[in-house]
Amino acid sequence: MREPKGWVPKLLIGIAVLYLAVLILLPVLAIFQGAFAQGAAVFFESLNDPQVIAAFWLSIQLAIAAVVINTIFGTTVAWVLVRQEFFGRAFFNALVDLPFVVSPVITGYMVILLFGRQGWFAPLVKATDTQIAFAVPGMLLVTVFVSLPFVIREVMPVLREIGHEPEQAAHTLGASSWRTFVRVTMPGIRWGLLYGISLTLARALGEFGGVLVAGGAVTGKTETATLYIFAALDERQYISAYAVAVVLALFSFTVLIGMEILRKRTEITQ
Amino acid sequence: MCKLSPADSKGPGESRSRLKEGAAAIFLLVTAIVLFACGPQASSPTTPPTGMANKTTIILGAYTTPREAYGKLIPLFQHQWKDKTGQDVEFQESYLGSGAQSRAVVGGFEADLVALSLEADVNRIGDAGLITHDWKSKGAGGMVSNSIVVFAVREGNPKNIKDWKDLTRQGLEILTPDPASSGGAQWNVMAAWGAAKRGFVDGYAPEDDNAARQFLKDVFKNVTVLDKGARESIINFEMGVGDVAITYENEVLVAHRAGQKYDYVIPRSTILIENPIAVVDSNVDRHGTREVAEAFRDFLLTPEAQTVFAEYGLRSIDTTVAKRTQAQYPPVQDLFLIEDVGGWKTVTSTFFGPDGIFTKLLEQVQAEK
Amino acid sequence: MFDASIKKRQASRPWGQWSLRAVALIYLSAMLLLPLAAVVSDGLSGGIQGLWQDISRPAAMAALRLSLWTAAVMTGINTVMGVLAAYVLVRYRFPGKAFLNALIDVPFAIPTLVTGLMLVVLYGPQTAIGGFLDRRLGIDIIFAPPGIILALLFVSFPFVVRTVQPVLTEIDLDQEDAAATLGASSWTTFRRVLLPALAPAVISGALLSFARALGEFGSIIVVAGNFPLRSQTAAVYVLSQIESDNQRGASAMSVVLLAMAFTLVFVVDFIQRRQERRNA
Repeated sequence: MREPKGWVPKLLIGIAVLYLAVLILLPVLAIFQGAFAQGAAVFFESLNDPQVIAAFWLSIQLAIAAVVINTIFGTTVAWVLVRQEFFGRAFFNALVDLPFVVSPVITGYMVILLFGRQGWFAPLVKATDTQIAFAVPGMLLVTVFVSLPFVIREVMPVLREIGHEPEQAAHTLGASSWRTFVRVTMPGIRWGLLYGISLTLARALGEFGGVLVAGGAVTGKTETATLYIFAALDERQYISAYAVAVVLALFSFTVLIGMEILRKRTEITQ
Repeated sequence: MCKLSPADSKGPGESRSRLKEGAAAIFLLVTAIVLFACGPQASSPTTPPTGMANKTTIILGAYTTPREAYGKLIPLFQHQWKDKTGQDVEFQESYLGSGAQSRAVVGGFEADLVALSLEADVNRIGDAGLITHDWKSKGAGGMVSNSIVVFAVREGNPKNIKDWKDLTRQGLEILTPDPASSGGAQWNVMAAWGAAKRGFVDGYAPEDDNAARQFLKDVFKNVTVLDKGARESIINFEMGVGDVAITYENEVLVAHRAGQKYDYVIPRSTILIENPIAVVDSNVDRHGTREVAEAFRDFLLTPEAQTVFAEYGLRSIDTTVAKRTQAQYPPVQDLFLIEDVGGWKTVTSTFFGPDGIFTKLLEQVQAEK
Repeated sequence: MFDASIKKRQASRPWGQWSLRAVALIYLSAMLLLPLAAVVSDGLSGGIQGLWQDISRPAAMAALRLSLWTAAVMTGINTVMGVLAAYVLVRYRFPGKAFLNALIDVPFAIPTLVTGLMLVVLYGPQTAIGGFLDRRLGIDIIFAPPGIILALLFVSFPFVVRTVQPVLTEIDLDQEDAAATLGASSWTTFRRVLLPALAPAVISGALLSFARALGEFGSIIVVAGNFPLRSQTAAVYVLSQIESDNQRGASAMSVVLLAMAFTLVFVVDFIQRRQERRNA
């Protein structure tokens, strides 16, 4: 890294700063301005509404459930993909990236095709008297789907870098598999894992298209924070929509930045 | 997208205490998350059938426009029901474009009661076998409210829009929702069609399908945004898009209540919009909510509820309420019904099907651009 | 990496290994393959011909075309600006750098619906900027392709930067310096030394942002006009077909989008694996 000398580096920095300012910073400032247009009191008042709180609560529940599921299974998948060799490994490895690029609308649509009234599993759904499509379980499936790659993709490179020697050594010394995992593997991957979790959380909280299609946006039942924003715009509750948007963005951003800082600090102290 | 973040790694050479600390912290975190998440998750979704318990829940699937009216009607009903039976009614509401809502119910959304924009959307639910009673025997032929198709224009009507003919003027920007998902949009198309056929659009021969088709085409040449629902359409109009929005009369009146300042024009000839309501038999029977759902429907037909609808811009189906509120709702020179242009049963497929008149017309409009 | 010792270990403790593998593969199959199969089989229920018939409807074709060209324009801009931003962030020290670096993650944190909302608040016809552009220059942003491109630029900005950054960090400054001492201009240095090393990462990032953009929905539904044949993108088209009861049309478009996503993901995977082998 170096000081910029001469006009070329300065120009490059200038362009980058200007581009990011116009593309990202300006819109963010605009929505903050919108949320606080009538003062902080109105901002907080609009957040302190039962419907808003219920929507946030549903978003948080879905996000946390997705984090739990994708942490447990994601770590397993990452470990298997890195440490084992088997037929079809390359295929599954590429498959993991798919949720990044599948349109959320299609994700929601899949839930309807599988669990809707005419879906593949309609008889099963009917027999067990549960509701999956147009209900919270369907939204959970969507949320898990869209946030599936993050933990796997953050943990895999770390696992690869550690190599299998430490695990093997622990094993040779007589440690059980579980003990090896908790004592050797887990501490090695924890930063990758935590970063993956924070990305999962942010992605899950922000999901919109999929939960709209799979959940139907029913107030008090399947309305998440993003769906609330969509509804509030229709009701001309602009301040409320902007306020919820600001809180969602701030929360996800804090999680991501917090992780980054935490990681840097630990790297320095060690 | 393998490495979104610079991959970091702690080598294996860490001290034992760090290992323990880290492992314990992560383990505790995951356990806490599992406990926290699984608790409410397990107990939340499906609504169990409630007989006469202290609390019951009904799910209302409605189209986008009467949102504010229901916002006022629901608390009124909740009080009445509580006084009568001692039971609390919780409402779960969903507002989507009428077509979208109807398809969601057919697809598995378990609404107890549907309040939609047009009859065809209720028929779809009936055809799927979910409504088994004769819903048209309730209220005014199954209808709960009326409205008409009008033009929302900017304050002071700067473009001087007076009637259907003006919508074909070159360079005008028009908003109307998408008939694929919105009931209001279908009313708009049929209103334009009817006005032309009935000879209320100068320059287009009356009683002539080709002339009416040409008129629709000339209007849709000017349409710039085709939103998913009537509400989205009017909101975009309020955000400054376009010169005219073809919309429900009640959309404009509700916007006025919300402090919006734009005008509206009633064309000489327009269609009477009739909005149906129906209890969805298979869902109320599953939830055990038939009694309360039917009570709510009947409540909506009372003069008290009809007065609320009138306050929120809807023309009442109750003649006395309609008479009392007529000052707010100017008469229309030539008000026609959907039956006058064929009735929903034929219109749905001949106009809006994959090869329907309107679908083809939209493709032509774009091809000629 | 898969040397004899792994195989030996697998052989010595087969049950634990097998059950873990089973859990992982069943999870991936249930979560990813099963739903994909549902869409693909529905889309192909009328055979390839039926699929073609549904996808060749004018509205479907126009939606696909709009999605493809806006995504392509975005990818072009995003690639250039992404490499530039990554380069500046890795190579230079300047005030506000940490802030700039954090700003890049913002699109990951902001729900896409909110992105669309922000753009309307900023560039909508009633706002200062949007009104100025509309009246003075006759440029529409919201409800027009420029709005779609802006939204796509926002949501996919991190892809190129975050794939290029780590690679750039690893490339030695000395190489660049050596080239410079040998009299190469900075442009030549960039082209001959940096670009070849960065190419795989840049291409992967660009392809992923392209794939991501094809499926974008939340921001588009707010900023595009949803006019079939004019301002309706492929993802929005899928929703409109679901809502208008044309399940076959929805499935057909989904299959096409999925096929493109699949192809792109596998190409990226191929590039990255080749790169890893070369590095190893």
